Amino acid sequence: MKHVLTLIVVLPLVGFLLNGFLATRFGGNRVGKGFVTVTACGLPIVSFLLAVACLVRLQEAGYQPLIETAYTWAVIGGKSFEISFYFDRLTAVMTLIVTGVGSLIHIYSAGYMKDDESYARYFAYLNLFLFFMLMLVLGRSLLVLFVGWEGVGLASYLLIGFWFEDPEKAAAGKKAFIVNRIGDAGFLLGMFLLYQTLGTLDMDRINAAFNVATLPAVSASLVGILLFIGATGKSAQIPLYVWLPDAMAGPTPVSALIHAATMVTAGVYLIARLSGIYLHAPGASALVAGIGAATAFFAATIALVQTDIKKVLAYSTVSQLGLMFVALGVGAYGVAVFHVYTHAFFKACLFLGAGSVIHALSGEQDIMKMGGLAKKIPVTFATFAIATAAIAGIPPLAGFFSKDEILWFSFASARGGSTFLWLVASAASLMTSFYMFRLLWLTFFGASRMSHDVAHHVHESPLSMTGVLGVLAALSAIGGFFALPHFLEPMLPLPDVVPALHHCEKTLIGIAVVLAFAGLAAAAYLYGGGARRATTLRERFPLAHGLLLGKYFIDEVYDFLISRPLLWLSERVFLRLGDRVLLDGTLNGLAAWAQRTAGSLGRIQTGNLQLYAFLALAGVVVALVWTWAHV
Amino acid sequence: MDKIQVLLALSVALFAVGLLGVVIRRNMLVMLMCMELMLNGVNLSLVTFSHQLGSTVGAVLVFLIFVVATAEIAIAIPIVLMLVRQKHTLDINTFTNLKG
Amino acid sequence: MIENLLQHLDTLLLYVFAACALLSAVLMLVLRQPMRVAMALISTMVFLGGIYGLLGVHFIAAFQVLIYVGAVMVFMVYVIMLLEVRESAGTGRFSTLVIPGTIATILFVGALGYGVWHGYPALIKAAAGARFGIAQFSISFLTEYWLHFELTSVLLVVAVVAALAVIKVSRRAHG
Repeated sequence: MKHVLTLIVVLPLVGFLLNGFLATRFGGNRVGKGFVTVTACGLPIVSFLLAVACLVRLQEAGYQPLIETAYTWAVIGGKSFEISFYFDRLTAVMTLIVTGVGSLIHIYSAGYMKDDESYARYFAYLNLFLFFMLMLVLGRSLLVLFVGWEGVGLASYLLIGFWFEDPEKAAAGKKAFIVNRIGDAGFLLGMFLLYQTLGTLDMDRINAAFNVATLPAVSASLVGILLFIGATGKSAQIPLYVWLPDAMAGPTPVSALIHAATMVTAGVYLIARLSGIYLHAPGASALVAGIGAATAFFAATIALVQTDIKKVLAYSTVSQLGLMFVALGVGAYGVAVFHVYTHAFFKACLFLGAGSVIHALSGEQDIMKMGGLAKKIPVTFATFAIATAAIAGIPPLAGFFSKDEILWFSFASARGGSTFLWLVASAASLMTSFYMFRLLWLTFFGASRMSHDVAHHVHESPLSMTGVLGVLAALSAIGGFFALPHFLEPMLPLPDVVPALHHCEKTLIGIAVVLAFAGLAAAAYLYGGGARRATTLRERFPLAHGLLLGKYFIDEVYDFLISRPLLWLSERVFLRLGDRVLLDGTLNGLAAWAQRTAGSLGRIQTGNLQLYAFLALAGVVVALVWTWAHV
Repeated sequence: MDKIQVLLALSVALFAVGLLGVVIRRNMLVMLMCMELMLNGVNLSLVTFSHQLGSTVGAVLVFLIFVVATAEIAIAIPIVLMLVRQKHTLDINTFTNLKG
Repeated sequence: MIENLLQHLDTLLLYVFAACALLSAVLMLVLRQPMRVAMALISTMVFLGGIYGLLGVHFIAAFQVLIYVGAVMVFMVYVIMLLEVRESAGTGRFSTLVIPGTIATILFVGALGYGVWHGYPALIKAAAGARFGIAQFSISFLTEYWLHFELTSVLLVVAVVAALAVIKVSRRAHG
């Protein structure tokens, strides 16, 4: 089949168009929920199968990348910009994750959003998101990637603010979009620099251009930093992470798909794809690793005390993304993608499990009001527990393998690994294990803290939801055995290890396992049996607890430092001064001046005929004198 | 100064005097008569040029001006009559309806 | 001397007629009563007729006296007689624009004269043109300028219609 890559990308778009224009109120409600479910869930599954077929074809072709040009967008000057798609090992991994986990989440949503009145609109937006995400990962040039990048931002805005009648949720959607745009400014500048020096935006050609003896005449570090700014926006790193916790206002499957498994990994994918640049940009790589480590640590500290089940998972996502960037920063691009792959499984499972809990408790999201659910919703509990163990890094589950590789390379990589980086990353992992098990204990164990009505209605979720949870839990368990970094090694080589540190590998693995179990033990100690010890601990350090609970008040700081001055500027300078005084004043002033002039000139019209005749005579005299003086 | 120059100077003078009369005199009928004087001045210049060049154009135009002037007076006088019937005076300054 | 005089009689008469016409015209401006102004205008017109005759276009001179004096000025005199009684005695002759008007007129004449004198000397040089009579005039009037003739007749029709309209309006206004 000639256009199979284009087909993979376009099928979800077809789903969006069909559902958006037929099944919603906009289209007149022509088809029912059954049609929506079948098309919206079926088309991503078809995309997934086509992606598998493409992988087989790639293998047969000896891993030569498949390239397809779908459409020539523009021909400007002598340069043509095409929409073309590119399929190699990295793309195969990302596409399978996006379509596979995406299809599962679609099926889950069919159960979760069953009673929502905007069912069709939800699936239309979800399909739209999938279309843009596939365009992002399959695009050959940065331009196509950027279209997908912006598109997933749009879909994210639409889905976060899905229940837009609530102004807070709508505001969360706006915040996500605007913060993303700030990052995109850096992305665009990076693209402009690349195009100006290299004359092309095709990513394979860019990598090749940096892979030669004489480097192009652009600072790789500068381009790297600019592109990384875009990645901080999309992948929620410091300083542009503030939209992700607020994004939990959207439906839980949306949080699972977009803010755990796929969209937030777009930044990681971008840097991994353009590894050619970062291999020659030690300054930018150091920045990436530093910010990744800082974010991982920072977000983990906040997650220690959060009480909303989804917010804990949101900060956990930010922290795990930080770890991925640490891997990218030390040159272990394949390992970062490996963590994307395992993180997709266990984080999606966690989010969907949280959704199942919320569904069971009829909308309750505060973990302080949960407890004792292990026996009541056993399937949810079992899958949630497996996924928690995976994220904590308990062997032999998936998270252990990927996290361990990250920690190893952060310590021993010859491209920027250091003990300090490893310490920060390990501290973040310890805290991850702790707060995830804290979440598990407070939600599922102990005495029930639920209100009586809620407790009465607790029920297990339907098969469409629990089935997906089961699949994802199984993948979290066994997914780590597929050695992704070695699969990607031909195109994303693992960095060299400092020779002196070769022997530390086993020790570091041991330390990582110990830290995972330490987190489990600490959580069980503090939160088991009524959480009395945790409460005592909290009362002993009220200031620290308040600081962490308030997320270090970063949102308030941003509001004070950035939003308020901008608002002041817009209102005082641009609105009052610029618009009203200058523009309106000029226009109204001109009009008033014209009126005054006309008024004073109108006084000539006295109605006296002789005056008119005299003025005509005077005019003729002037005309004669002037003509004959100048002729 | 030969004939042509004298006549042209006279025509300019008659025209100027007529124009002055329109501006100066208050009586409406006198204003009309000054307008007739202007026409006469123009007629004179046309006849002079016709005589100078020997072509009949000027004479034809003069004839047509006679006709037009007559028609004009035939209408202007009744207008004046009707205006006078309203305000009972021939003073032009009392008629300021064109003001503004 | 008499022979000299008689030789240049037409030129002399021309100058005399011109002076008298100008004098009558100026008199028009200064006479107080409208009837006397009308008389001054009539005399101007007659002198102009004389000038036309001296130039050789006798038919134009005849038309001048017949139409202008005989129709237009007679009509004017009738109207003055009609409206004589309505004239209030107190109003002065001149409007408020006497001085500015006079100055403007002097400037006008000066500019016009200067411009023509220095700019177009060919205008005012005497040229010997062929004399033409009424036969030639009529022929050219009705063949070469027939369109102007027709348009003027249209104008006359329009004038008649306008006069009728004026009568109707005045009748409606005053019963």
